[in-house]
Amino acid sequence: MRDNYCGSSDHGVTRRGFLGTAATAGAAAFADMTQIDQLAHADVAKELRKDQKRVIMLWLAGGASQMETFDPKPGVATGGPFRSIQTDVPGVRISELMPKMAQRLKHTCIIRSLNTKNGDHGSGAKIMMRGRKDEANLKYPDLGAVLAKEMGRADSKVPDYVSFYTQTEGRTFAPGESGFLGSRYAPMELTKNNMPENIAKLDGITEIDHQQRADLRDLLSKKFADGRSSTTMGSHNEAYQRVRGLMASEKLFDINQESAATRAKYGPTQFAEQCLVARRLVEAGVPFVRVGRAWWDSHGQNFETHQEMVPELDHVMATLIDDLKDRGLLDDVMIITLSEFGRTPSINSSLGRDHFGNAWSTSITGGGIKGGACYGQTDPTGNTVKEGEIDAGRLFATVYKALGINPHKNYYVGSRPIPLVNPGVEEVKELVS
Amino acid sequence: MRMPGLLLMFFFAVRASGAEILPADRPIEKAVDHYVNALLKQDKIKPSPLTDDATLVRRLTLDLVGRIPTAGETEAYCSSTDPKKRFQLVDRLMESPGFIRHQVAMFDAMMVPSTSTKGTGNLREYLSKALGENRPWSQIFKELVTPDENDANQKGSGEFLRSRVVDLDRLTNEVSVAFFGVNVSCAQCHDHPLVNDWKQDHFFGMKAFFSRTIDNGGFLAEKEFGQLKFTPNKGTEKLAKPLFLSGKEITLANFREPTGDDTKKEKERLEKAKADKKPAAPPSVSARAKLVEVALQEPNGGFFSRAIVNRLWHRFTGHGLVNPLDQMHSENPPSHPELLEWLARDTASHNYDVKRLIRGIVLSDAYARSSKAPGDTPIPAQYFATARLKPLTPYQMATALKIATVDPASFGKVSGTELDAKLEGLDAAVRGFAANIAMPGDDFQIGVNEALLFSNSSKVFSEFLLDGPGTLLGRAKESTDAVQAIDLLVRSTLCRPATPEEKQLLGQYLTKRSDRPAEACRQIVWALITSSEFRFNH
Repeated sequence: MRDNYCGSSDHGVTRRGFLGTAATAGAAAFADMTQIDQLAHADVAKELRKDQKRVIMLWLAGGASQMETFDPKPGVATGGPFRSIQTDVPGVRISELMPKMAQRLKHTCIIRSLNTKNGDHGSGAKIMMRGRKDEANLKYPDLGAVLAKEMGRADSKVPDYVSFYTQTEGRTFAPGESGFLGSRYAPMELTKNNMPENIAKLDGITEIDHQQRADLRDLLSKKFADGRSSTTMGSHNEAYQRVRGLMASEKLFDINQESAATRAKYGPTQFAEQCLVARRLVEAGVPFVRVGRAWWDSHGQNFETHQEMVPELDHVMATLIDDLKDRGLLDDVMIITLSEFGRTPSINSSLGRDHFGNAWSTSITGGGIKGGACYGQTDPTGNTVKEGEIDAGRLFATVYKALGINPHKNYYVGSRPIPLVNPGVEEVKELVS
Repeated sequence: MRMPGLLLMFFFAVRASGAEILPADRPIEKAVDHYVNALLKQDKIKPSPLTDDATLVRRLTLDLVGRIPTAGETEAYCSSTDPKKRFQLVDRLMESPGFIRHQVAMFDAMMVPSTSTKGTGNLREYLSKALGENRPWSQIFKELVTPDENDANQKGSGEFLRSRVVDLDRLTNEVSVAFFGVNVSCAQCHDHPLVNDWKQDHFFGMKAFFSRTIDNGGFLAEKEFGQLKFTPNKGTEKLAKPLFLSGKEITLANFREPTGDDTKKEKERLEKAKADKKPAAPPSVSARAKLVEVALQEPNGGFFSRAIVNRLWHRFTGHGLVNPLDQMHSENPPSHPELLEWLARDTASHNYDVKRLIRGIVLSDAYARSSKAPGDTPIPAQYFATARLKPLTPYQMATALKIATVDPASFGKVSGTELDAKLEGLDAAVRGFAANIAMPGDDFQIGVNEALLFSNSSKVFSEFLLDGPGTLLGRAKESTDAVQAIDLLVRSTLCRPATPEEKQLLGQYLTKRSDRPAEACRQIVWALITSSEFRFNH
C-alpha cells in the first residue's frame, strides 16, 4: 500500500483494495463507498447514538458581533455602551443584551477563540458552512449536506436538509451546498415563505389521481429497471418514492399546528416562527435545519443594530432550548449559532464595527456538546485570540465528534478519499461530553 | 532532468511505441470494436446484443443533437431497410445545426467557470464559431490559451483564461484538467502521495506558464517579465521554471525579474491598451505560447490527444477509458491501453478532428449495445459490454420534454432543415426550464427537489401537461380508440411503440377512469415523462 492521501493514518482502505472491491462488485459498489469505512470503524453503539442526533443552525448572516453577544469587553475603549452580566455558569459573563441566555448558559458551550482569518462575506460564509476552503476542482459539501448523508434515510418521509433564508440580504453569499455529494443531498431551500416549494398538490389534480399516477410511474420504471443497474437510476426512483411522504410533512411547516401558548412563547417574528418550524422538523426526524437571520452587517450604527437584533436572538434561542428540554430532546438536538465572521473590536467613524475573522465567537448547545463550557479567550481588547485558538476545521471536527460521527471518515471522489475534515484536524476534546 | 519526469516518459514511451497497435488505416469504429471485443474475449465475457433500432435512433439523436427524435424520425429509421441507414442517420445528425449547438453546450459546460467576473467577450460565442467550423481541437486549445482578441475569428476566446485569472492556482489546475486530463491540485501543497509522476515542481512548473497572465481592463494580457517562486513543503524557497507535465522543462529568454525600467515600460504598455479598450500586445516571448508549443510537440503530445479521446469516449459511452477523467496518470491505467493509444494517434494524425472521432465512436458496436445486461449480473463498466444509462443533461431533458409533449402532427412530414428550423423554435422555449434540472456529474444522484418539481409544480403542468390545440394531449383527446391513444402517447414520449403489456396496463388505467378520459391521459403522460426510461439516454 502506498502512503495514504495527504498522510493521515485514518484512511482504512488502500487504493488497490478499493479498486479490487469495485471491480468485483460492479458498478453498484460505487453507490456508497463509505460503507467500507463503517466496517473498518464499526462501533454499533456510536452509530445508534448518531442516528438520533439532529442539528439546528442559527445562521447570523452578515456577521454578528462577539462583543455584543458572547465575548463582551465592557470598560475598554472599544467595548461599546453595553454592560456584561453574570450567567448561571460561575465566572462566565455575556452581554447584557442576552439576559435569557445568561440564565441558560449551563446548557450551552461558548467558543470565544475562533480565528478563521477571513473577512469576506462570500468566501467566509462558504468556509463556515463547509468547514474549509474549497479546492480548485473540488466543492465540499456543507455541514447540512454531510448530516443529510450521514443521518438521512433513503426512505425517509421527511426532508434531510432544510434551509430557511427568507431575507434577501446576503442570501447568495451563503447558499446551501451539497458539493461533491451531489443534488441528492442538496437542501430544500425556503426563500419565499415558511412553506417549501412544490410540497403541496396542485388544485387541478385529485388526491387519488396524484397517488395513482405515482404508482403507474413506479410500475413503468420498475419494468425498465429490469436487467439494468445504475446508482443514478436508483436515486431517481427513490426521489419519486419519497414524494408522497414529503408531501405529508407539509404540516410540519405549519406553525398553526402548534398551540397558541407555544406560538406565544416563541413570539411573532419571522425568525421565531422559523425556529419553531425547525423544532417541529427536527422532532420529526429532519437531520439538519438552518434558519438564516439577516442582516448583521453593522458597518454603521453597530450598537443600535445589535440592540435591536440580539434580544430577539436571545429570546428565540432561550425559548428553543426550553422547548427542546421540555420535550426531552436537548441531548439529541444541537443548536449552533454561526456567522461568516465576527466584528472588529475597533469602532469606525460611523459607529459601526467592520468584518473581523481573527478573534470571534460561536455557541453550541445540546446534542452531545458539554454545556456550561467556555472555551478559549481573547486578549483584553478583543483583537487577538490569546488562548485555545480554533478554526473552522476544528470547529467542524468538534461538532462531528459530539454528534457521534467520526470526523476522519472518508468519502470518495472517484478513487480519491476525502475525509470529513482535513487530515490532522482534531476536535476540541474537552467540549465533547 | 528529475527522476519522476524520466519515469513518466518511460511509462508512456512503452505504451506509445506503436509496434503492437493496429495499423492506422482502419476505420475508427473497426479499431474500437477490435480492442473492446478482444478484452471481452480474453476475459470470456459475453456482451449485450446490439440494441434495437428505436433505441439506437433515440440514443444517437440525444448524443449528437441533444434532443429526442420526433415520432416521425423514429418511424422513418425503423422502417428503412437501407443497410447504410445508420451511417446516413449519423451523418445527417452531424450535419444539422443541432449538432453544433449541442457540441457548444457540452464544451461550454466543461469550460465554464463556476464563478466569474464579467469580461468583454463571451466564451460561448467563440465556441459556436470554432466548433461550427470544426476547427481542430489543437487550434481551439491554442486560441483559448493564447487568444488573439484582435482577430474577429477568435472573439470571446480570451474569456476562458480571463475569467479564471483571479485565481492562478485554480486556472493552472483547470487548464490541466480540461486539456491534459490531469488534476495537479493535489501536488500544490505536497508531492502527490499516490502518483509518482506528480511533484510540487509539476504544479508550480505548470503554474509558471500562467504566472505572468493578468486581466487588463477586461482583456487577457501577459507581462514581459517575472518569475514564480514557491516554497516546497520540504526545503527552501525556489524558482519555478516552466515545466510541462511530461517533465519537459522550458527555458524562456525573458525568464527574469523586471528592472525598474522594464516595469515602467510595461506599465505604459498595459495602461495604453486599457485606455484604448484594446487587448495589449503580447510580450516578446509568451510563456503561454510556449506551453501550447510544448504540449503539442512529441513526445509530450500524448497528454493532449489522450485527454480529448478519453473525454469524448466518456461522453458517448458514459464511462471513460480512464476514470475519473482528471486522473490520467501512470498509477491509474486505462481499461484498454492500446485502444486509447490508437485513438490518440489517429486523432493527432488527423489534425485533431473532433467530429471525425465522434463519428467513429458512435458508429462502433461498442456504442450500440443494449443497456440491458446480457445475464443476471451486471458486467463491470470498464468492459463496455452493456450500454450505460446516461442521465439527460438539463438541456437534453428540457428539450426532450418539449418535443415529447407537443402535438406530433405539428412536425408533420417535415424533415431535414425544415425540421431543424421548427425545433429551433422550441429551443428558446425550453432554455428556461433547463435551469430547474441539475447537471449530471460523476456518481450523479437525483434529489427529491426534482421529483417534487415534477409532482407538484405549476410550471411542469403548464409547460408539458396542457391539452389545448398543438399539444400531445390535445391530439390524444381526438382519438376514439384507446389502444391507438396509448400508442400515440408512448411513441411520442418514449420514442418507441407501446409494448403489448403497456397497452394492457395503460388500457386498464384508462378504462377505470372512463369518467375523466382527458385527466387519465394527462396522468399517463405524467407517468411516462417522469419514468426512468425518459430520464436517461439508455
